Amino acid sequence: MSGLSLSHEPVTGVPNGKLAMWIFLASEIMFFTGFFGAFIVLRNSNLELFSHSAGELNKGLALLNTFILIGSSLTMALSILNLEKGNTAKFRLFLGLTILCGFGFLIVKTIEYTTKFGHHIFPWTNVFFSFYFIMTGFHALHVIAGMIPMFFMFIKSFTKKGYNYPTKVETLGLYWHFVDLVWIFLFPVLYLIFPSH
Amino acid sequence: MSNHHHPDPESMFSSYIKVASALFILTVLTWVAALDWVPRSWGEAGNSLHIGIGLLIALIKASMVFYIFMHLKFDNKFIRAFVFIPIFLFFVLTFALNVLGP
Repeated sequence: MSGLSLSHEPVTGVPNGKLAMWIFLASEIMFFTGFFGAFIVLRNSNLELFSHSAGELNKGLALLNTFILIGSSLTMALSILNLEKGNTAKFRLFLGLTILCGFGFLIVKTIEYTTKFGHHIFPWTNVFFSFYFIMTGFHALHVIAGMIPMFFMFIKSFTKKGYNYPTKVETLGLYWHFVDLVWIFLFPVLYLIFPSH
Repeated sequence: MSNHHHPDPESMFSSYIKVASALFILTVLTWVAALDWVPRSWGEAGNSLHIGIGLLIALIKASMVFYIFMHLKFDNKFIRAFVFIPIFLFFVLTFALNVLGP
């Protein structure tokens, strides 16, 4: 891939696409920062309401989703590693597994949401659930957004030319790991760190 | 080439497996730490302890994802600014809202 070296940012030695992704991720951190910051402030002034509402969440499903996302981060990293080694079959296998994990996550999320709706809990029920739905909802949108290019790469890998752009997959990997990272914070903050009643 | 700083694929493979295993174990630990093990008599301190442990584990997990999965350990140090500056701003914002807010 020596031809690609031209596309590197001269100071950092990082490919332009990766640099752009990091700039985007910096803005993403700030995007979620707004939610987390506001959540913490409102939590402290409505502790009773927040603890009570958080008690209604299904912690088991959230734990399952945490495992699914960590697993998908691992398969994503392994798919990049295999593409760099030129092992297309394993690249495709691990990328496929990552997509499956993404679907798994979304299915669990759908079960969670529909159960909440069944219990007449909606985003407008109270301020805790507004945060719950908007934070997990934006996170789920990020999962979907990551799966679209993954799906494209997966399909492309079946063509005669295959999909031989390790840097692009690595850039997408950065995004995917970030989505996992957001969930690492959402899980304890929304589901776990409330005094039980 | 994007990976010329990185260790060889074999050692990257074992790092990934180690990090993923650690993430799984720490997730279980987060769960266990959130159980109702703090005596009620501790009151607000017990509550803060729960939050502190939960967030500390999350921070450890996040650093592992940043440094190994997202290659911050191997890439140019300049890239770290994209992580550290927003995180610093997060603390500034949250601190400001909590202290100066209603």
